[in-house]
Amino acid sequence: MRHRTNLMKGSGPLWLTMAPFLIIFVAFSLFPVLFSAWLGVHAWDGFSTPRFVGFDNYATALADPVFRKAVWNTIHVWFWSTLITCGLALVLAVLINEYAVFGRTYFRMVFLLPLLVAPAIAAIILRVLFSANGGLVNLMIGEITGTPTFFSWFDSEIWIKPLVVLLVIWRWTGWHMIIFLAGLQAIPRDIYEAARLEGVSRWSVFSRITLPLLAPALAFSIITATLGGLQMFDEPFVLTQGIGGTNHSATTLGMYLYATAFTQFDFGLGAAVSWYIFAAVVAMTLLYRRLSAGLGAAR
Amino acid sequence: MKRYWRNREARGNLILTLLMVLLSAVFVLPLFWTAVFATHTLQEVFQFPPPLWFGDQIAVNYSRIEAVFPPFRPILNSLIVVLPKTIGLVLVSALAGYGLARYVGRPGHKFLLAMTFATLFFPPSLALIPFFLQMSWLGWLNTFWPLIVPAMASGFGVIWMYTYIGSAIPHELYEAAEMDNSGPLATFVFVVLPIIRPGLAALGVWTVISTWNDFQLPLVVLGDGTKFTVPLALTMLSRTHFSDTPAVMLATLIGLVPVFILFALLSRQFIAGLTSGAVK
Repeated sequence: MRHRTNLMKGSGPLWLTMAPFLIIFVAFSLFPVLFSAWLGVHAWDGFSTPRFVGFDNYATALADPVFRKAVWNTIHVWFWSTLITCGLALVLAVLINEYAVFGRTYFRMVFLLPLLVAPAIAAIILRVLFSANGGLVNLMIGEITGTPTFFSWFDSEIWIKPLVVLLVIWRWTGWHMIIFLAGLQAIPRDIYEAARLEGVSRWSVFSRITLPLLAPALAFSIITATLGGLQMFDEPFVLTQGIGGTNHSATTLGMYLYATAFTQFDFGLGAAVSWYIFAAVVAMTLLYRRLSAGLGAAR
Repeated sequence: MKRYWRNREARGNLILTLLMVLLSAVFVLPLFWTAVFATHTLQEVFQFPPPLWFGDQIAVNYSRIEAVFPPFRPILNSLIVVLPKTIGLVLVSALAGYGLARYVGRPGHKFLLAMTFATLFFPPSLALIPFFLQMSWLGWLNTFWPLIVPAMASGFGVIWMYTYIGSAIPHELYEAAEMDNSGPLATFVFVVLPIIRPGLAALGVWTVISTWNDFQLPLVVLGDGTKFTVPLALTMLSRTHFSDTPAVMLATLIGLVPVFILFALLSRQFIAGLTSGAVK
């Protein structure tokens, strides 16, 4: 009894305050995740009796050319969108922090505006601007070349992925820029003053001082972009009106997962795909942690 | 010498700033055109050069969408989801964050903190299918419940509140509360909550905006068109009325207005919410 009162005094209040979070989390996040592991090794359409199939679902996914294409598409979109978004955001943040003559508050606000637009809604706007019949982009090309253009951007296997990437860049550059600006403002100004007095070139200041000190913000930024990129769904789904483009040219892993579960009702295969996505997320996070730790040590 | 360098620098800086103004215009242009197109006739939208300023067709365009897409229904649906979820998420996160920030070193603290961090790396797609099945067993499909209750437990929210409370509230305050015989919950309600209001606002704004923009989960759980939230309803409209650009753009504009008003009012809290995540 005495032991019990001690325990209550020890961690009772902690568990009490965590209780609402824990209860909802266990019921609606932990349970589904565990259930997903079970689903992954069963063949089930949601109605008939589930059948244990071992790792067949995982093998089926690997053997499916559409799945392999989705892996490739996801990597392609994730890589280019992360590289360009983070690169552009970094340049903008450094420019705003150190070189902007006016409008610092304006820039922060204005680059952030696209983030307020839902991915699905941004995709609608992009569909209108790039529409084959009378879309602004085709009108402009027609005006420049002198021949009316009715190019169908969203049916093109070549252009659909760059359009998805463009959408991500448009929405996310401002977010990454704000993260980098916060990181930059944490760097003490006198380091720059000292470097300037020493006559260190701008490039050296950037690569030897700014970049290493910005490493934590960069890591956060890239990990967040990767978590989102590997699960991308809304943008390609709305841009291709749910079909994934001509010959699955824009089917991402997120869309493949959705299609297996909610159009083919193959819940086991869908669960297996979600575990592949999870494995990719974990692998990328660990890899990035290791890389940034290595960079830190080298410095 | 230094002065000369500065002068050349000033000129370069001005050019860079102007280039950024240009780039910012490119970023805003799609939104600007959405608003402009919403006020013109179909013919005007399809001509070149495109209209560059607002027209006077907004009422006409509105009359065309009103019949097929009463825009206030989706906005109401979105509010029904967003408001209770946000209040719940902010309070649940604040309470848990308070516990983690106050009871450091108690048995189980390390485990709970590590577990909360680990939840950040669980991709939502991992739970999507089993969550859908769970909702169908609960009879919650085609209701707003799946979008409200489960979403109140957010690892991101807890970590953010834990960091915020840890830096905003000194431990002396808890000791003083203990002297007054104030229990853990009373201290939370009467001492902690009033102090952390800016933090609550920041997490709240971020939650409202990201929930307003949610697409995949509503798509999976809501079957009935009258229950569609704003992004779903707009996606439907853009498919059924794809050739009526002004109507689609006007509906899009109406769907964007609530978020933009909120941002205009609380942009500082919103930005504070963004950067909090980077500070671990």
